Amino acid sequence: MKKLLFALVASIFSFSAMAGGHADWFKEAGAPYKGTVLQGVAENTPPGQFAGEVLAKEFEKLTGIKVQLENTSWDQMYDKAIKDMEANSGIYDFVYIEQDIVYDYLNRDFLVNITEGLASNPSLQAPGVSLDDFTTFIDYFKDDTGDVFGVPMEAFIKVYLYRKDLFERADAKAAFRAQYGYGLSPATSFDQYRDNAEFFTHFCAEQGMECWGTTVQGHTGHPASTYEFLESIAPSFGLYNWGVNMDTYQSCVENGGQLNGGRAKAALNFWTQLLPFAPPEALQSTWSEVGSSFAAGRAAQGWVYGENAAWIATDAEKSAVVGNVGVMLPPTAPGVMTQAAAGNGYIGYYDGGAYGIPHSSKNKEATMLWLQFVAMNEHQADWAIAGGRITHKDTYADPKVMAVDEQADGYFTLMRDTGFLYAGAPPFPFHGAGRGAIDPFIYSALAGEMTPEEALDGACQALDTVMADLGYQN
Amino acid sequence: MLSKNKTGWLLLSPTIIILVLAGLVPFFYVLYVGFFQWNPLAVDPSLQFDGFASNYRRLIFDEIFLESIWRSIKFSVVTLSIELTLGFLLALSLLSSFPLKSFFRSVHTLPLVIAPIVVGSIFKLFTVQGLGPLPHILKDYFGYTLNYGLNAEQAFWMIVIMDVWHWTPFVTLTLLAGLSALPQDPYESAKIDGANNFQIFTYITIPMMVPVLIVVIFIRLMDSLKIVDEVWMLTGGGPGYATRFTGIHIWKEVFEKRYYGLGSAMSILYLYITIVICWVLYSVMVARGKNED
Repeated sequence: MKKLLFALVASIFSFSAMAGGHADWFKEAGAPYKGTVLQGVAENTPPGQFAGEVLAKEFEKLTGIKVQLENTSWDQMYDKAIKDMEANSGIYDFVYIEQDIVYDYLNRDFLVNITEGLASNPSLQAPGVSLDDFTTFIDYFKDDTGDVFGVPMEAFIKVYLYRKDLFERADAKAAFRAQYGYGLSPATSFDQYRDNAEFFTHFCAEQGMECWGTTVQGHTGHPASTYEFLESIAPSFGLYNWGVNMDTYQSCVENGGQLNGGRAKAALNFWTQLLPFAPPEALQSTWSEVGSSFAAGRAAQGWVYGENAAWIATDAEKSAVVGNVGVMLPPTAPGVMTQAAAGNGYIGYYDGGAYGIPHSSKNKEATMLWLQFVAMNEHQADWAIAGGRITHKDTYADPKVMAVDEQADGYFTLMRDTGFLYAGAPPFPFHGAGRGAIDPFIYSALAGEMTPEEALDGACQALDTVMADLGYQN
Repeated sequence: MLSKNKTGWLLLSPTIIILVLAGLVPFFYVLYVGFFQWNPLAVDPSLQFDGFASNYRRLIFDEIFLESIWRSIKFSVVTLSIELTLGFLLALSLLSSFPLKSFFRSVHTLPLVIAPIVVGSIFKLFTVQGLGPLPHILKDYFGYTLNYGLNAEQAFWMIVIMDVWHWTPFVTLTLLAGLSALPQDPYESAKIDGANNFQIFTYITIPMMVPVLIVVIFIRLMDSLKIVDEVWMLTGGGPGYATRFTGIHIWKEVFEKRYYGLGSAMSILYLYITIVICWVLYSVMVARGKNED
């Protein structure tokens, strides 16, 4: 909260600075729409909270256009947005488009073409706002012709976080070396990751500390676990695009896919075998609980979404590990890093989302103004600090961001320099249906009801059935 | 007479219009969609007619769907039995006087006013491994590990406990109202004839309470067969399929996987099964009531 207040104050200064520049333009452009209320729905993330609590208020002050942003749970966000767009009811003027669902939305023609909209109405084009200022993350929200359908509001990578205070303890180092025969350090290989996890689980217990060796985003009834497997663990083992053969849309090995292949099985075995070394809440943890568990000091290392990395490392009000957070790339199997660097693979998920305008919006022009306001360079730094996200190229060089970067062990620098090793979700228009088919098998593997091998054999068959059902295999 | 009828229809018309719009139109729409293959994520996102009742044929062989129905029925039978037993005992207790009776009755009724989704949240906060107090207490004092994210049996029974906690007060209050309204003459006659408490309960109270019991059983049966919110919040249907009741299964098929046609057929089929179960139960109870008369 304190951080959000700080961001609010900082933003006021930023906007004051902006006043001499583009504020007048927004005032003038917003005048015809004064009194309009824009309704939006998004996932409740730190960047989303900043947009709703800071940017929306500033935008209203400038233009008289009120923005009511409903930040809700991930499931509810999808449910509400999709139902609204399917029914063409026009409840929402802008919706959050998660990177992995954009292909579905574009395929179903839910979204307004922002490039075209601005080109056809030059009076709505805000000076100083350029879509070229964005990082390449904006490419995920473009169609084949390069037109933009969503304005990125968050982008981050899933990194390896570790507790420096634990890894640097002399007694821990000595005990680790005695037990494993090599030095204790953050993991760069899966064997080392497993050893670290096992070691710290026992070490913490011996020391009477409430901590375990690793996080596991392993909810046995929520897609978060499937996402952790498909988007983080599996790619680091060299399994890309969910193991789907992108030419034939088959995922089983016998049909040319990889979802039940050696890499996938190795990845799922590795991941499920981490459970004894994870906090007891792991099987009920989504991304939010993983962030909270790590912030509470309950894990020595783990894969954590970048939107949580910044506050875990810097916000002493919410995090018990401030000053003790190390950030690195996650471990990868041999060859994966080379493939990723060459553009033939990726090491994890480049996550994020954008705000887009549904065709059903009744206030498209006023929403165009809001989206451009969101895209302005002036408040990107404060937004990055509040939400650990960066969507603009110049934000990395902002002194405020660089100061936080130092506190966060170079998280932003890591994202800038190695972001190209990550990738968004595969371009599947059937994303939700496909993932929904895989979910129960991942849940069962985590709960120990199926072996990883059985689970992946079942998952690939279920996914192939869905892709056949929906007509992709023809 | 004609004018009286017209006034009647006029007064009824808002209700009829609402019922048609909110009940019949969606029902017939779902019935219609259930005859098509329809998934907007498909290469061809339009409604595809794939032979009459092809979705229904597919469902007959859909093990996951059939298991979800069996799971829902099992859940309903278990919760209904516990809630009826507990509710009856509590209602009988509340008939007599004891200290702090009003306070107890008020506290006991509180769960009823809580929304199902909140009930799910409360139970989650209490029972989540590592953070909730219940697993700690069970582990520290009884050596029992509660982890319903891992253990399918525990997940099922946790949902049962949650439902019993939430809805037993409804059963108690309804039965209490019924018990309070029973005539006293049969009891007095039975006592004069020398019947003991158990005989009075079995041969007088229960038969006279049958109409109230039928109402309670039907309301709770239909409610428990369509349980979604609490389960959604507590387990999300997991681990695996352990708490994937039919309501949750339909939700996942329709809103996650977007199988609108198949999901509609599931809804219709499940509605049909619910009606059949209720009808059979009703027939049995009415027949037994008549025999006892």
